[in-house]
Amino acid sequence: MTRKQRVLCGLIVVFPFAAFVVSLFIGSWHIPAKDIVKTLLSPVFPSLASGFPDPEGYINIVFSVRLPRLILAMTVGASLSVSGAALQALFKNPLVNEFILGISSGAAFGASLSLVFLGAAFPPQVAAFAFAVVAVLLVLSISRKSDSPIISLLLTGVITSAFFSALLSLVEYFASPYALQALFNWLMGNMTWPGWNELALALPLMGIGIAVLISMRWRLNVLSMSDEEARALGVNLRRDKLLVIVMATLMTAAATSVAGIIGWVGLLVPHLVRMMVGVDNRRVIPLSAALGAGYLVLADDLARSLASFELPVGIFTSLIGIPFFIVLLRKSKKVWL
Amino acid sequence: MSIRVQDLVYRYQDFELRVPALEFPSAALTTIVGPNGAGKTTFLKCLSGILPSPRGSVFVEGQDLATLPEAARARRLAYVPQEHSSAFNYAIIDFVLMGRTAYVPLFSTPSDDDTAAALEALDYVGLARYAGRAYSQLSSGERRLVLIARALAQNSDILVLDEPTTFLDPKHETGLMELVRKLAVEKKKTVLMTLHNLDMAVKYSDVLVFLKEGRVVSAGRPDETLSEELLERVYDIPMCILEHAGRKFIVK
Repeated sequence: MTRKQRVLCGLIVVFPFAAFVVSLFIGSWHIPAKDIVKTLLSPVFPSLASGFPDPEGYINIVFSVRLPRLILAMTVGASLSVSGAALQALFKNPLVNEFILGISSGAAFGASLSLVFLGAAFPPQVAAFAFAVVAVLLVLSISRKSDSPIISLLLTGVITSAFFSALLSLVEYFASPYALQALFNWLMGNMTWPGWNELALALPLMGIGIAVLISMRWRLNVLSMSDEEARALGVNLRRDKLLVIVMATLMTAAATSVAGIIGWVGLLVPHLVRMMVGVDNRRVIPLSAALGAGYLVLADDLARSLASFELPVGIFTSLIGIPFFIVLLRKSKKVWL
Repeated sequence: MSIRVQDLVYRYQDFELRVPALEFPSAALTTIVGPNGAGKTTFLKCLSGILPSPRGSVFVEGQDLATLPEAARARRLAYVPQEHSSAFNYAIIDFVLMGRTAYVPLFSTPSDDDTAAALEALDYVGLARYAGRAYSQLSSGERRLVLIARALAQNSDILVLDEPTTFLDPKHETGLMELVRKLAVEKKKTVLMTLHNLDMAVKYSDVLVFLKEGRVVSAGRPDETLSEELLERVYDIPMCILEHAGRKFIVK
């Protein structure tokens, strides 16, 4: 690793923590910086909160709104980035993302069913997660008998996505205006804290997925070789591939179920990391987690502070991601792939 | 480690590879030759356990390779493919380090010992100075050497190489054959390879196996097995064997 790469590694590691701290001070309700610090310390030193004009309000905003939202944004950003990087290595294709396995379209259809037809009895997070898993199972079961599993998997992913998108359009057609608005809001992605109950499944799944894929980071290098080479090197291909796909699916489905569809994170972040520190997954996977966490926090900051009302964060990840990606591709003279 | 093949059958579409019985001597260089489509690469892949479940068995020191888990098999036998292509341009040292897969647990990363083994392998093929370079920056001859270094890092007793000299100029071809020969003599590895260059095969091999249409036509020491009749039977064209300075040359 060159000196420049080491410096960039350090900066990426610090980035999510810096984004976290900065974002605590950003929100539609202005709270002076010193009061934020006092509020954060108030559980240990209750006397610090006594001087606030509205002690309960500040504590509520910091601990019930901003802090959980930041935790959610960081976990979702890290999940999407890590699963994107892992799937790109597994499929030996740097353009693979979470949409390719039908995860996002499955989740979108599940959420639409819940928001339009099932109501509160079946939370959109649960329905989104269930259909994301159904979509991936469908993709895997159709493609497994092919002689060329990777091409077949990618094609089946495209077909499955198109199928669920058609079903989503059908649901939208029958939706009431109120349900349609709720659905669009969900589809464009947002980081509004849905509550601990709704996250009881998603947060642990994202955490487990990130931990497992980070610990498999070197094996992902070997899995990015051709199947024949990986087998000759001593890899149990069936087991290792299944493990990566299951983890990437579960964490992406969990992230999509709680935050809606947030595009471009899984593609942009691993690419940025590879441009900065090279292609070795021992660095790419953990640094994608760090950069993805910080990136989504900053995108969410923009989404909730640019206007007097909150904008969907999914729009920002695409609006920032696509031009940024184009500029980087044009500027980068170095071959990183 | 000697290798014994027994009742090996592999079918793919209209092609059938059938090897009833064949033995490869330990610490020697065996070269499989034959025309295009004879099944040389398929044979090597069956031997290496890369192709899914062929019928029959490959015994290494009496143990059936198919009964071994992937990592245990990779510690005994290393396979060098004809070519490598990847979407990701790894540094040479990271690439050679992958040869240590069979020694690194699934949820772990290579140790310092693994890195030392990879560097030693790279040094053996004479490319230690390129450790930090990207794979794409190497010439095709150097890439072949890196593939061999990765196989050496596996620290297996058996080395299987699929046409390692294809597209190499005479200098690199000779250098690579000298290296492979050294591996059999110096490191006591059982080396199996396929070649198209018959002169090289005759010069460097301890044993030649002639393969045609999925069947072994002849196998044995070059001076015992090689004849103009055999060459014509295998390649379907007349060939002459000339001798000069104690060496045999084949003229088409």
